[in-house]
Amino acid sequence: MKDKDIDHLFRHHSGKMVSVLTRIFGLAHLEIIEDAVQDTFIKASLSWRKEQPKYPEAWLTKAAKNRVLDIFRALKTQKKHADLLSTGTDVIAINELFLDKEIEDAQLRMIFTACHPKLDPRDRISFALKTVSGFSTKEIASALLTKEDTIKKRLMRARKAIQKANLKFYIPQGNELLERIESVMEVLYLIFNEGFHSNNKDQLIREDLCGEAMRLCQLLLKQKNTRSPDVYALFALMCFHSARIEAKISVNNEILDLKQQDRSQWHFPLIVLGNTMMNKAVETDCFSCYHYEAAIAGEHIRARTFEDTNWNQILQWYEALHALQPMPSHILTMAVICTQTKAYEKADNYFNQLKVEDLEQRGYLFYAAKSDYYSKIEKYNRALEYINLALSLVNNSLEKDYLLKKYSTLSLKV
Amino acid sequence: MIFTGADYADLGLSPEELQNRMGKWFAWGQKMEQAGILRGGEALTPQIRRISGENRTVTDLTSAEVKEIVGGYYTVEAKDFDAVQDIAQDFPDYDLGGTVEIREVMVFDK
Repeated sequence: MKDKDIDHLFRHHSGKMVSVLTRIFGLAHLEIIEDAVQDTFIKASLSWRKEQPKYPEAWLTKAAKNRVLDIFRALKTQKKHADLLSTGTDVIAINELFLDKEIEDAQLRMIFTACHPKLDPRDRISFALKTVSGFSTKEIASALLTKEDTIKKRLMRARKAIQKANLKFYIPQGNELLERIESVMEVLYLIFNEGFHSNNKDQLIREDLCGEAMRLCQLLLKQKNTRSPDVYALFALMCFHSARIEAKISVNNEILDLKQQDRSQWHFPLIVLGNTMMNKAVETDCFSCYHYEAAIAGEHIRARTFEDTNWNQILQWYEALHALQPMPSHILTMAVICTQTKAYEKADNYFNQLKVEDLEQRGYLFYAAKSDYYSKIEKYNRALEYINLALSLVNNSLEKDYLLKKYSTLSLKV
Repeated sequence: MIFTGADYADLGLSPEELQNRMGKWFAWGQKMEQAGILRGGEALTPQIRRISGENRTVTDLTSAEVKEIVGGYYTVEAKDFDAVQDIAQDFPDYDLGGTVEIREVMVFDK
């Protein structure tokens, strides 16, 4: 096994172990548990350097069981857990918790904890990546393009919130489940997007983020209680997007947009899976944002070439999405689509609904879209004005290069 | 295999001793699992509510009041009683007065 595969295995396994151990000892002892698991992996990586075990997963599970004893002893000495484990037969019950099905159950509990409303929304993703997916603070920082210190603070704050609210380690049921699963889906959606849309050049990290979001989404789908049309739609969306993940990066490690991607590189099995999931998602008539986003992604996937894209259908889905969840970025997208389909009056109408401030840091996209619009209706002077405005706001160097190219093409036409 | 014995807490074992014994229980479970003979098991908590007699008399007991308490069981697959007796050699608590009772699960397959 290569180092990066070992890292991957550790990540994957430590998420499982932290969840199982938390089920045994409770969220109150999360810090001890995380330290213990981390310690196990440090020891493993030292001992594996000499000789790798034949069954690495079994080796790690055994090591985690030994950790149960260490943690148990530490807590017993502190008399914090006098009632826990008072006879050898208790080990029988603990052994059961290390079976695959029970590990999945423990991980679901951890997901619901990470997405608990008592946690600050900003802290949820970092905490989920740490405890459920076993990312190190360094890996989270690099995945979220944030400083490691910021991540450490977020994790600390999340742990404090859990202790303060004295959260229990469980999967909610009934009406509570309906509310809580919303925030779980949101976090999984955000984790996926971090992997899919980010400008992170590290392909492995991007794929790991998407992979984790999909794995956790599958855990929700596996259990009867947590399965729902919305979760199916979310999973379909992830399938459609991830089918394109490899085609998104050029041989020069540049990010390619839909127009430039080689569609023959799209991963067919994921498209098929996405379709199956979508069929399940529409078994009832109640549609969520995930339904419309999946429909949009599916529509792009369906087009054989960029020119074949059914923009009118996509526009309809965006209108439905915007009605359900009004967002300035949706209006901008609709304006861009209408420019594309030469529905200029409609495009102008959408642009008029927007102010550049509405789009915050992405204001340059608003100006760039307006520039495109004026260029299409052959008002090149205005187009040039707007591209200049866009250039004054853009930060990202890749995007800046892209806009500069447009600028030089436009200046030739004026 | 049904396990009977005293509660560790009632015997006043130190945390080190407890850890040591738990380790043996884990190792034993691991051994059976690797041999592919373990079919499951369950541990029982030490609270007991006993209902007995024609008057359905109810008594709540704790492990301290009962010398021999059933702590749990493992189901294993084996050829016969002798084979399970071999497996039971690794039971960690004989020295604390613990017992293993081997019983066969009844199966109708006539």
